[in-house]
Amino acid sequence: MAPEDPRAYVEQVMAEIAEEVRLRRTSGDLPPKLERELDELFLAHSPVAGRGGDLGDALRMVDAATFIDPVVPVESERAAGAAVKKGMRSLLLWYVGWLTHQMSQSASAVSRALHIVDDRLGELERRVESQSVPPAGVVEFPALVHAEAWWVGPAVAAAAKAPGRVLHVACGDGWLVRRMVAAGGDAYGVDPRPRLVDSAELGGLDLRAEPVAPHLRAVAPAGLAAVVLSGTVDGMAGTERAQLLAVIGTRLAPGGTLVVHSVTRQAWDSPDAPPEADLAPGRPLRPDTWCSVLEQSGYEAVEHAGPGGDDFLVVAVRSAITSPYEPAER
Amino acid sequence: MTTAAGTPVAVHQFIATLNPHDATGTHALKLRDALRAAGWRSDIFAEAIHDDLASEARKHWMYPEHAAPGDVAIYQFTTSSAVAGYLAEQGLPLILDFHNFTGPEYFTGWEPRSVERAAAAADELALLAPRALLGLAKSRFSQSELRDAGCRWTEVVPVLADYRRVAGTPDPRVAAELARLGAEGGSDILFVGRIVPSKAQHELVKAMWAYRRLYDAKARLHLVGGTSSFEYTKALQGFVDDLGLAAAVRLPGEVSDAALAAYFAAADVYLSLSAHEGFGVPLVEAMVTGVPVVTRDAGGVRDTVADGALVLAAADPSYIAAALHRVHTDQQLRSALTAAGVRRAAELSSDAPATRMVELVAAAVRTA
Repeated sequence: MAPEDPRAYVEQVMAEIAEEVRLRRTSGDLPPKLERELDELFLAHSPVAGRGGDLGDALRMVDAATFIDPVVPVESERAAGAAVKKGMRSLLLWYVGWLTHQMSQSASAVSRALHIVDDRLGELERRVESQSVPPAGVVEFPALVHAEAWWVGPAVAAAAKAPGRVLHVACGDGWLVRRMVAAGGDAYGVDPRPRLVDSAELGGLDLRAEPVAPHLRAVAPAGLAAVVLSGTVDGMAGTERAQLLAVIGTRLAPGGTLVVHSVTRQAWDSPDAPPEADLAPGRPLRPDTWCSVLEQSGYEAVEHAGPGGDDFLVVAVRSAITSPYEPAER
Repeated sequence: MTTAAGTPVAVHQFIATLNPHDATGTHALKLRDALRAAGWRSDIFAEAIHDDLASEARKHWMYPEHAAPGDVAIYQFTTSSAVAGYLAEQGLPLILDFHNFTGPEYFTGWEPRSVERAAAAADELALLAPRALLGLAKSRFSQSELRDAGCRWTEVVPVLADYRRVAGTPDPRVAAELARLGAEGGSDILFVGRIVPSKAQHELVKAMWAYRRLYDAKARLHLVGGTSSFEYTKALQGFVDDLGLAAAVRLPGEVSDAALAAYFAAADVYLSLSAHEGFGVPLVEAMVTGVPVVTRDAGGVRDTVADGALVLAAADPSYIAAALHRVHTDQQLRSALTAAGVRRAAELSSDAPATRMVELVAAAVRTA
């Protein structure tokens, strides 16, 4: 007989199944240790790399295989087979034992060497980790980044010149994307802060809560007509900024536009700056430096200074003859 | 159907391999029939064609002999294929019919060739998605991948499949064998799918081991399907042997439609613990045949089954075992799942998906 409210019944069943499992586990019927042993048993059949390529796992396999047993099993299904095998084993044991002893010694030496390599690699990873620079988050100055800001009009106009998809990086709730779409552009936005995108009133807007660099790598070469960066690059360390510009360079179509809104050092160091500015691994570039960096990367860049001296806009057009397939940044 | 300029339009399909027994091949044939019924010229061009379908398709490189101005291409995207590069060169207005593909991470350490092929498929998707007028995904999960690859207009339409194959007359020999096993007692758990790491048959074996230990010592697991991963199959068989389940876990390989019908007819529960599914045709086949479905929530599975299955968030053996036991013994739950499954399967096997596809193709053609 079907229940009156099948969905509610299924939910109730799910809860009861979870409770049943909890009780089984606490009663010792199927302890978690046993489930782990099942995993290990299957992994014993998988190729080394099937274990995720972990060196520690590989070494455990090497350790297990290091000892070679010279005592050959003598069981047999045939009558007298066991006796014959046992006799042969007795005759050969001194020779087989001599060989397996050397092989075990050799394998042990290899295993020891690999453990040393593992230890040193682990130490190296710890050191690299302690010296690595964390990626910069979005550093947004609310007084300078909003729908009425002076730079929005020029940015929308610059992006609109290139026909095709326009990406606003650090799109927040989509205020600039909405503006560009209203102006007839094919715009979408990406923001690494999921909270902002999740709370946005989408109303047909294409906004994605994703980290910026992986998103750009997933975009097809030359797949974007324009990219607008705001609040994204100011706090980046040099390497991260260079990597971002490199991937943008491969994703922008020839003749495409890169628009960078940035703050000045004066604004960055002011008491009104958001705390993210203090915590960021890098500092903003000056307008001239931006133009120089972009021109070296094959753009023609023009700087627009903001009225209060706190921010500026760089509009850079990518050379139309650059191949989108080089460099191979994927 | 004509373009805005008034010229006749043909909507041709391109596909890597046209096979008679796989989901994509069946889908392509049914879509071709629907397009023709809507008044378009529509042919299939493939990189490889099964002998049984030699009269149904042409090699993709023969397309120029049949090309006409205004042609539109639908690419059945399933895996890496020379057809992707060929279409990019042809520059035809393109519709991507995306069936998803298993990512390289699922083959790492098992099948180096499959890793390469999956990585190439990702590159081909990135090449074609931004050029497509329209991307047709089989689930919201696949739709998200299409959008990430740069496809600007995406829609979700289920696979066009022929689910009647599992509702036909069961193979009498297989049915008799399954009946003989059933007479020994114990439940029959079924999974249908290629034996590859992404389908996670080893998780099914673990669940079966726990289920037998805790609830039903005579239960059997039938893993029906061929393999394209020798290493994984070898590991699976070794694992089964180590657990002492050689008699309880049966791997009959790829079987005929009639034999498959026999397996579904004998199954008490259909269990899927796949780590990746773009759609999952066998899930629908189970629902069509009234077999209650227990499945892990992975990829496009939830979109496929809707509320027609018991969808579990975890694949822990004890959890799966408890769910199997409950579905097997709770008649009220079985009834609810079976009724919801049959209802969902009826939605998916109606004419509505084909009609919807034709409408969307027409809308895309108008933008070409």
